[in-house]
Amino acid sequence: MQVTTTSFGQNFLNQINQLETRQSTLQNEATTGLSMTLPSDNPAAMNQVLNLQTEASANTQYQSNISAVQSSADTASDALNSLQTLIEQASEIATQADSLSAAQLPTYAATVSGYISQALQYANTQDSQGNYIFGGTANGSPPFSATTDANGNITGITYNGNSDVAKTDIAPGLSVTAQAPGENNTGSGAAGVFADSRSGANIFSDLISLQQNLASGNTSAIASTNTPALSKDEDNVVSQISANGVLQSTLEAAGTSESQESTSIDSQMSNDTNADLAQTLTLLSQTQTAYQATLQSGVMISSLSLMDFLQ
Amino acid sequence: MLGLFGTLDMGARALSVQQEQMAVTGQNLSNANNAAYSVQTLNVTASTPLETPIGDEGTGIDATSITSASDPYLNSQIQAQDSLTSSLTAQQTGLENAQAYLDEQITSTGSSATPDSPNGLASSLSTLFDSFSAMENDPSSLPLQQTAVQSAQNLSTQFQQISSQLSGVRDDLNSSIQSEVTDSNQDLATIASLNKQIVEAESSGGTANDLVDQREATLEDLSNQINITTSTESNGAVNVNIGNVAMVTGVTQTDSLGTFDASGNGQLVLQANSAPGTELTGLSGGNIYGNITARDGALADLQTGVNTLASQLITNVNSIYSQGYDANGNTGQDLFTGTDASDIGVNSSLVGDPSEFQYSSTGATGDNGTVSALAALGSQNIAGLSNQTFSGNYAQTVTDLGSAISSVNDQLDTNESVSQMLTSQRASTAGVSLDSQMTDLIQYQKAYEASAELVTTVNEMLQTVISMKTQ
Repeated sequence: MQVTTTSFGQNFLNQINQLETRQSTLQNEATTGLSMTLPSDNPAAMNQVLNLQTEASANTQYQSNISAVQSSADTASDALNSLQTLIEQASEIATQADSLSAAQLPTYAATVSGYISQALQYANTQDSQGNYIFGGTANGSPPFSATTDANGNITGITYNGNSDVAKTDIAPGLSVTAQAPGENNTGSGAAGVFADSRSGANIFSDLISLQQNLASGNTSAIASTNTPALSKDEDNVVSQISANGVLQSTLEAAGTSESQESTSIDSQMSNDTNADLAQTLTLLSQTQTAYQATLQSGVMISSLSLMDFLQ
Repeated sequence: MLGLFGTLDMGARALSVQQEQMAVTGQNLSNANNAAYSVQTLNVTASTPLETPIGDEGTGIDATSITSASDPYLNSQIQAQDSLTSSLTAQQTGLENAQAYLDEQITSTGSSATPDSPNGLASSLSTLFDSFSAMENDPSSLPLQQTAVQSAQNLSTQFQQISSQLSGVRDDLNSSIQSEVTDSNQDLATIASLNKQIVEAESSGGTANDLVDQREATLEDLSNQINITTSTESNGAVNVNIGNVAMVTGVTQTDSLGTFDASGNGQLVLQANSAPGTELTGLSGGNIYGNITARDGALADLQTGVNTLASQLITNVNSIYSQGYDANGNTGQDLFTGTDASDIGVNSSLVGDPSEFQYSSTGATGDNGTVSALAALGSQNIAGLSNQTFSGNYAQTVTDLGSAISSVNDQLDTNESVSQMLTSQRASTAGVSLDSQMTDLIQYQKAYEASAELVTTVNEMLQTVISMKTQ
């Protein structure tokens, strides 16, 4: 094949172009550490990265939802535990009522009165976001309000909340809530904490009845009615506490599994996109050598012609 | 026998032929860097010999013709290959622009060390659904409502930007097509006029080598714009057809290219101006074809994909959202306005007051039914998106564009090397080799010196003969 002025130039240029393109690709890989940046570099990997990225982002959101629910669950747990203690103490008073003197009864009635106000405080507990956790989904205002008599004793408690709960997604297909309705007498849905028709619990009415019976000295009614009723109330709170415990462990398990998944997604995304640096650098140095050789030989040859030797 | 005068004449003709050879070599050397030039050769033949009793006696040399090394078969292959390569290059440019505007680019310098694509629609879509999910635990929280509205606004803005940028790419392709059509028509006119000059020049015999080279360069330029078929007439004129329409016949340009808007939506297609409104068929190469292919192929698919995604997002989000209640019990408003990516927006009243966010499905202020359903929408398969999720469908759209570009890149790699091979083959056969021309030059110079020596010698011999008589 004859080498002409134009063919030499064209071929030389083509070779340089090829090497330059290759060099620039490898250089890009070496500096970014990525084997691909654009969809056209590797369409299949891009698809995977975009899908993984969505998954990772949802995952991060789930983790942040978990800590939000966790915080409400902690608040609920504290309130429920305090409530249980309070009911236990009221039960003790109810059990001891028979052995108390008539003079002691009003003092205990006053103590129980204090318990009722205490329980009302627990019932109107707010989480860190200011929502009332025992108000169902009507949680923007205090769910429980009290009516008092002339002596300042609470004679009745009204529930203004509802029996619904709002669940939060903490994993694909898994939603939980730290909320519980204060009362649920509908016979379905989430159990009410202070009153529930299914367990027969009704804390406020039982405490008020105990207080009134103590005040009036009706110790037989205390033994026959209040003691068994308070025991039901305690059972109801204990079952709420154990549900809260289940929730806490669900949150922990979901959190662990999501952080593991995050790690795995990260490593999949890295696998899809990371350049093999050892290989890239080796190829880069090979290409550079070839590029130098092409330039040197090209310049050497193109500067020579027959004319240099014709005298 | 020639005799001394015959030999003198032979020497004189040899000198003239060798001068002519020098001139052709000079022309070749002058055009050494002219890519369109085909190396020329002076063809010579031994003059008609004299018959003598001792056999034919040579009478020297005659120049017969100047031919060029151009190879019509190779040229037509190069034309076809040029059409293909430039079509692919045009597609590559158009689609790579579209890809750049999508801004789905993987980086590892973002907020996390994990490589991801932080700037594109994919990330904004996730952010929107994540902001709905974030509202679930505290739906009445104003900051969370603001974040959700902000995410919806960002997504809308991004949709609109991409939509208008992709329309811009389409408009660019259309205006390229128009300017390429103008160039093509100029080429057609040039070819017809060169045909005329060539026919006139060759009517008196010989070949109009330089004009043929010029015409070949014009044909190749035209091939870069659109694929052509050519046929050569006996008088040297080249007929040019585009599609099935004769554009140049003999020495006249019989038709020209034009564009018209066939679908009424700004998608310009080609017509022969003799048959306005009829789309020219049989196109398979050239910039014009490449631009049309990119515009009506991968770019149109991308635009449709983005528009469908936006319109499905608007419909699906609104149908859930409008059923919800805000903190004040108001309901029935839409979250998104508009119908597709070009005009998607967020309800302006909600933008003004994010507390109007309709998150509750029951009206209770602590309920999150609506916002929870919106969050769940992000991972649901949507019937209007081929049963893919929003982000899955978009990832597929991006992948389709990536695959289209990657396939064009691969084809282009192959075709460029074929183009290079053909061009270098032609450069090798039809290009000017300085070495070979220089060697010829020396040969012609030596031969000229020798012929001159012959004339001198015959002249001396004639002197001798004349002096014989005077002695």
